[in-house]
Amino acid sequence: MAVEVARLEPRRRRFSAAGGPRYPGWLALPAVGWYLLFFVGPLAILALFSVAERVGFSTVVYTFNLDNFADLWDPLYGKVFLRTLQLAVVGTVATLLVGFPLAYYLARYATRKTLLLLLIVIPFWTSFLIRTYAWLIILAPDFPLFRALRWAGIVPSDLQILYTEKAVYIGVIYNYLPLMVLPLYAALERMDWSLVDAAQDLGDNAWQAFRRVTLPLVLPGVLAGSLLTFIPLTGEYLVPVILGGDLTVYAGNLIGSQFVTSRDWPFGAAIAMVVVGAMTVAVLLYARLARREEQFGG
Amino acid sequence: MSERPIWERRYDRRGFVAVSAMTAFLAACGGSTTAEEEPGGGTTTATDQPQLTGELFYYNWADYVNPETYDRFTQETGVTVKKDFYPSNEDLQAKLQAGARGYDIVVPTGYMTKILVEGNLLQEIDWSRLPTVEANIDPKFRGLPYDPDDRYSVPKDWGTTGFVYRTDLFDGTLTSWADFYEAAMGPLSKKVTVLDSYPEVIGSALKKNGFSYNSEDEGELEIAKGDLLALKPHILAITSSEYRQMVIAGRAAMALGWNGDGALVVAEKPAEYVVPEEGSEFWVDTYAIPVGANNPDAAYAWIDFAYQPEIGALETEYHNYGSTLQKALLEGVIDPDVLANEDVFPSDEVVAKLEPNNYGPEGDSLRQRIWTEFKSA
Repeated sequence: MAVEVARLEPRRRRFSAAGGPRYPGWLALPAVGWYLLFFVGPLAILALFSVAERVGFSTVVYTFNLDNFADLWDPLYGKVFLRTLQLAVVGTVATLLVGFPLAYYLARYATRKTLLLLLIVIPFWTSFLIRTYAWLIILAPDFPLFRALRWAGIVPSDLQILYTEKAVYIGVIYNYLPLMVLPLYAALERMDWSLVDAAQDLGDNAWQAFRRVTLPLVLPGVLAGSLLTFIPLTGEYLVPVILGGDLTVYAGNLIGSQFVTSRDWPFGAAIAMVVVGAMTVAVLLYARLARREEQFGG
Repeated sequence: MSERPIWERRYDRRGFVAVSAMTAFLAACGGSTTAEEEPGGGTTTATDQPQLTGELFYYNWADYVNPETYDRFTQETGVTVKKDFYPSNEDLQAKLQAGARGYDIVVPTGYMTKILVEGNLLQEIDWSRLPTVEANIDPKFRGLPYDPDDRYSVPKDWGTTGFVYRTDLFDGTLTSWADFYEAAMGPLSKKVTVLDSYPEVIGSALKKNGFSYNSEDEGELEIAKGDLLALKPHILAITSSEYRQMVIAGRAAMALGWNGDGALVVAEKPAEYVVPEEGSEFWVDTYAIPVGANNPDAAYAWIDFAYQPEIGALETEYHNYGSTLQKALLEGVIDPDVLANEDVFPSDEVVAKLEPNNYGPEGDSLRQRIWTEFKSA
């Protein structure tokens, strides 16, 4: 979605500047209705819950108090948020580091692009859950690969990956890679490589040409891919449960457990509101960055 | 939505908040979601011999009814059984509270029965329609603290919480919670799992220190928390659904869990299930009829049907959880090995040391915070 926005914006600007075609406003009604019903509506309900109060085991009483937010001001939850931020930042950077060379190769050198792109997209045809469970088997200590590595003395005999943070990061990078690669590829695909050649002809070495020509031109793609990875990562719920052995709490798990295990919907709603608020700030920052990039990119 | 497996519904990371909010919205509007509703259910005219028709919608724990029992029930009554499953009491509650209707029978554990009653989610039970239950139930399962007058629930099966360990992977004998914690923090470090359920895990630490399983005393809970935080770095995983397989496969050597799973491990591998000396929990799962049931007649028929000794025997032989029928009625019908298995039917002496989960909302709030702290430690 972010890619679309980035791509469409200049065109719209051009239209309005030239006094281009105007469409009747009611054409937007289905989209606005959808937006109200499935985004603004639920968000409003969440806001309503976040100031409500839990009584007894699970009864929700609608009032207005900010106790739920006050309760969040607690080192315990601060730790959870920091850990979530760390997962999101490190996860995004790691996915970028793995994804960029892949997208670069695909866009510039690959001869069978369609096939390779298909291979990246195919995992999407299988449930996220099943793909994550597959890693449970791959990372288990008795998986043949590990046995072989242990036997060859390449890894220590007591190496434990499953149910540690390492497993969480592996699962995260694996699952978010396509979300990163596709926008990167879209940006690199539109690159005019002769510009790089020109830079090198004029005295840049390969690294300088990359830094001064390629990178600024594909930066919107980098930002789009990072955002597509970063935002869902802040709510990541499944990978820590399955591959992390549920031994660590991230914001997504905290929210989930308030709704499902602790029966405290108001508190869960308050946490969700805080996460939504933080995300809004992140997206606004991104929008500013992206706009600036576009102006420079011209 | 209903054709997707339950775990996927629960964990769908992108849909989670949206779905919760939507269902909350529906619940807040007072509308009943019709996603689960099935047409063709009988109406609720309470007669002595209701004409049974249609379908029984049974919402239950997975793998908790012998498949043969479904067939026999359909043969006898002509009612077909539609099934759906939940992985925890809390999932059941979240579903009912969010407004899902149309289930005819649900199977909450005692403490959850109490919570569902508080939320006005269960119908009163008309015991005059359960003659077989009246005749065959073991009186010790009547009037339990979660439902003192048996107004909303009928016991289904019962069991204990304890731990199971592999005798071939551990040198020595473990008999108490103190042993469990010591072994977990010593030779079995990173070879131990605990349930993903805070009453049981926090309860184990309370009992280890000689406190009540249902303590609501902040000081006592603080001590229990200290033990749990010390235990945390030694835990391999927190799971209620995978520990049985992990212990059987040897990936874990010890697990805090329930007796039925323990008995199944013991049947497969050299292992022992322990009800700890300090005492522990005994739980009772109950049949309950939620509000908005389409076919309560069929629900009564099922409950009464299941209290026949042959059916009770069939059930316990299948899932290894204790039957709530009078034991004398099971003799001669049930596999004698199962009846003699103390993991399935603990002795009265063991049962005397057990407490049912029965703390109040205050104790619940305290436990929730401890649990978050334990998990994020």
